[in-house]
Parts: sequence; structure tokens; C-alpha cells
Amino acid sequence: MSQYKIIFTGPVGAGKTTAINSISDVPPIKTDAAASDMTKTRKAATTVAMDYGIMNLAGGEKIHLYGTPGQERFDFMWDILINGGIGLVLLLDNTRADPFQDMKFFLEAFDKFIGETGVAIGVTQMDVSMTPTIDDYHLQLKTLGLKPPVFAVDARVRNDVSVLVQSLLFSLDPGAEEGL
Amino acid sequence: MDKIKRPLRVALYAMNERSIRTMAMYLQGPCKGAAVVVDEASADIDIFDGDSHNAKQLLAEHAAKPLSRPIIVLSLQSIKLDNVVLVKKPVKAEDMLGALAEVKARLEQQARQARESQQSNNDPIANDAAAEQPVLKKYARNTDAQKGNKHQTAMQLNEAAFNAYIGVVPGVDVNDPTQFAKAAYNPKDYFQDYIQFAINTSHEKGENLQLHTGWRQVVLFPQSRKIWLDADDKLLRAFANVKVDRLTGQKMQLSPFKANLSALNDEPEKFHNLDAFLWKVACWTSKGRYPDAINLEHPVYLKNWPNFTRLLITPHAMRIAALLVQEPKTVEEIIKALNIKPQYVFVFISAAYALGLVGQARREADELVQAPVIVPSKKKGLLGRIISKLRGSNA
Repeated sequence: MSQYKIIFTGPVGAGKTTAINSISDVPPIKTDAAASDMTKTRKAATTVAMDYGIMNLAGGEKIHLYGTPGQERFDFMWDILINGGIGLVLLLDNTRADPFQDMKFFLEAFDKFIGETGVAIGVTQMDVSMTPTIDDYHLQLKTLGLKPPVFAVDARVRNDVSVLVQSLLFSLDPGAEEGL
Repeated sequence: MDKIKRPLRVALYAMNERSIRTMAMYLQGPCKGAAVVVDEASADIDIFDGDSHNAKQLLAEHAAKPLSRPIIVLSLQSIKLDNVVLVKKPVKAEDMLGALAEVKARLEQQARQARESQQSNNDPIANDAAAEQPVLKKYARNTDAQKGNKHQTAMQLNEAAFNAYIGVVPGVDVNDPTQFAKAAYNPKDYFQDYIQFAINTSHEKGENLQLHTGWRQVVLFPQSRKIWLDADDKLLRAFANVKVDRLTGQKMQLSPFKANLSALNDEPEKFHNLDAFLWKVACWTSKGRYPDAINLEHPVYLKNWPNFTRLLITPHAMRIAALLVQEPKTVEEIIKALNIKPQYVFVFISAAYALGLVGQARREADELVQAPVIVPSKKKGLLGRIISKLRGSNA
């Protein structure tokens, strides 16, 4: 039976682990460790390999949910992760110094994969920092020639993550319908 | 409304500013106000991030102090320390609430023992009402801009719920192409237009404004993008579909809002995000009709995806958005491409138009270009099954 992946990426602390936890049917297999490098200024523990969750579909199919390591020094793993991926969920932390730079970095890093599949962007921590606004993100994306879904997301809220992933799937095929 | 009336006062250690802010919101939100973050001197208990690089040192220093209050440690590790309650990461609200309940019980026991031995009541919990207000740190929510910031996640309507929640227009079958001409409405006839005007004016002036409706009090806060309405959704839904000119149109006017905010802050549930509010009002005004400014013969384009996690998601709204961001399309093309009822297209266009996200392609090139046929994804069935899974557990 075929197995498919949805990839979650984004900078340290953007909520990848939490988002996977929100929609996974099994407790996510985490590989967090106490941060010992520059990431400790943002998060006491960080994902050093990958997060992994599963969505069990009717009929026994499984959708594998992979979170990329937040630290860029593990970016060599990204190519392995995206192989066979359905699409990309990019989570951005609105309290970071320059979330646009983060966005561009990840969009460029996954440029080929996005071109072949699609991307949906979730902006976390918007209740802590209201700016940049979602409109500001769209303006930035316009300069890159992209019009992906960009939503405010609380990664702890299942419905937020669900709507974000649904938007990714509809981006891939607006004709997709529930249950078909 | 299930907030714990006497929250524990907690001091945080070994956390950076961002973690402290997050923790304060976590205690207020998922932990339902069971605890508030205060300064060290005002605290009942202490919470440490056990994975911080200096946590061990801070805990050791803390243990040496003549304090007898309980400690909660959040950690990925299984730490065992005297007088410490461990909450394993990732921290779940139920675990945190359990830990808070445990330390609260300890405090109450300590207070009882102290009362018995000293004949005086020094219970830090029971005395909460009489005690001085804790000194909240600067990240505590205390401004109108932050009030009501707790967002409401999207409500996804399915087809079965549409008519009951959105409503129908008597005497018009909006799904009958021969009646499309009668399926248009003018937003200017309704509360929707007054709200849109008020929002635009408050943004232009950068000023809090009050909209006098002759109905219920409406206050707009452009900085925080909030609106305060002294009515619940049931009343709003009914009012949204009343033609204003017949009833109260003459009375509607804007004025600066100068009253005391504290009265509004007492009812935070009446604050709404401006976009979510306007979107919802447009849906209820539309009832499956379309704005008369939209020409059904011309293609419609979508500037960008609406922020769906914060909006009412009407049936097929995400599919329509996904289709329209690709290429401008006429309403008929959308209906055919997605094989859906016109009312779902009309209501989406009404809401997106209210937010300024929808326009009509006027350029000749757009009209000459044949709308491309959607090429179904090879994974269409799989995508549908994942969507079912995601929606199936949404309730």
C-alpha cells in the first residue's frame, strides 16, 4: 500500500512539533534535545532530527507527517524528507526578528518541491505580535510571484492546523472533494 | 465562564521574555486562568523551565532560599527533586492543571497548618479577595488592543448546515439560473455597508469610533483591528438581513469613542476581529445572493486567499478560493468546474468582496483568455480522503 507524506517546515520555535501533534493520530515521535547552540535563545529544547506523526485514513492508508529539524545545520536531511511528499506546510513565527527573511529562506530552500507540489503558510504567535500582518505576507509573496494560502495559526489548535492542511490540499486540486 | 475565580500567582524562572509571554498566555488560555504570572515577591508558587541552560543553578539557588512555596518544573527529562512537581514537555493543559491543583492543595494544607499554630489566617489562596492585587508583569494583557485577542478558530459549515445557519431569501431560488437577476443584493441597503464605511473611516482617521445604529452599541478599534458589539450572533444575524433604510438608516452616524473602556473590557466575548466580523455579516446579508456590483458575465479574480483560520468557512469556500487564485473565472465557470450550487459561490463572493479580496477582471486579455479546464490531480482521491479525515474529527 502506498504511503504518503506531508512535510512541516519552518524556523526554530515556529510550532512544527506542536502542529504535527495537533493532527497526528499517534503521539508524535519526538527527537527534541536541550538546545546547546544559538537556538537556545529561542527555545530551550529543539528538534535535532525530525518529528513524526501519522494520520490513519479509512481503509488503512497512512499519511506520514514529518517535521524538519529547526536548525539549519540539519538541512542536509531535507532532501531525504521531502522525497514522496504531497506538499509543504511552512510555519513562521511572527515574533522573530525578520519573519519575511525566514519565509524567503524556506521558500527558496524548498523551491523545487513547492514547484512540483504546493505550499501553505501558517503564521504563529500572531496574538503576541500582530505585525507583520497576513496582508503584509501576501504583499511579500506577490513580489515572489506566489499566491499560496497564508493563515494565522495557533499550532496548538487542531482546527487551525486542519484548515491549513486542507488549504494545501485544495491548492493541489480545487476539484478535490471530501470523501472522494 | 469556567475560569477559576482565585488564580494561583506564579513566578517564572529560567525563561526568556518570549517564553514568559507564551507562558502567561498559556495559563490564561488553555489553562483557563488557573494561574497568573506575577513578580517573585507576589507569587504563591514558582515555575522553572528545567531544560534551560542555567536551570540547575537557579533551582539550587532557589532551594537555598528561606522560601517554602511549591515549585513546578517543566522538562523533557524525568527530574526528581524534593518539593518539586514535574510537568513533562510537551506541556499539556491537563498536566499543567493537574500540577497547579496539586500545588494549590499543598498551599491550602500549609495555610491550615499555619492557622492552627499561629491562630491567624495567612492562607495565600483563601485571602485572595482581600489581598492586594498582584503586580502583573508588563506582558500581562491590559490594553484594549490586546483585549479580545483570544481568537476564535474557523467554523466550517457543510452543505447541510448552510441554510439553517446562513438563511435563505424567501421567494427567490438563488440556485435557479433563470432567477440569477433576482439573486443580487445591494450592500448599501443593509447594516453591512454601514459597518464597512465605519471600518474604513476608523482606519483612515486612526481613531476609535462609535457607530450609532439606533440598535445596539458598536465600537471600532482600528489599531487592534477589533470591533465591539453589544449583541450576540443570533441578534446580529437577524439584524444583518433587515433593510436598514426602512428602519433605522436615518439614525446611523459615527462619532469618536471617548467613553471608558473598562465597561467594554468586562465583556470580552463581545469583541470580534474586524475582518471576521465583516465577513460574517456579509454572509448573513447575502443569504446565498451576490452583490449587485458583480457582473456575472465577467470573470472574478481573488487577490489572495482569505485568512480562513479566522473566518466562517462556508461550503466549498476553500475550493473556490483555490480555483480563483489560479485564474479569474466567471461565476458560471466556477459552478461548472466545481460542480456546486450557485449559492455557495455567491456567498463566498459576497464575503470576499466585503473584505476587498474580490474584483472583476476588466482587462480585455482576461476576457479573451479561455478559462483552463481543471486537470484533476492523480492524487485527487487521496486528497479527498485526507480532507475527510481532517474534517471528520473537527467537531
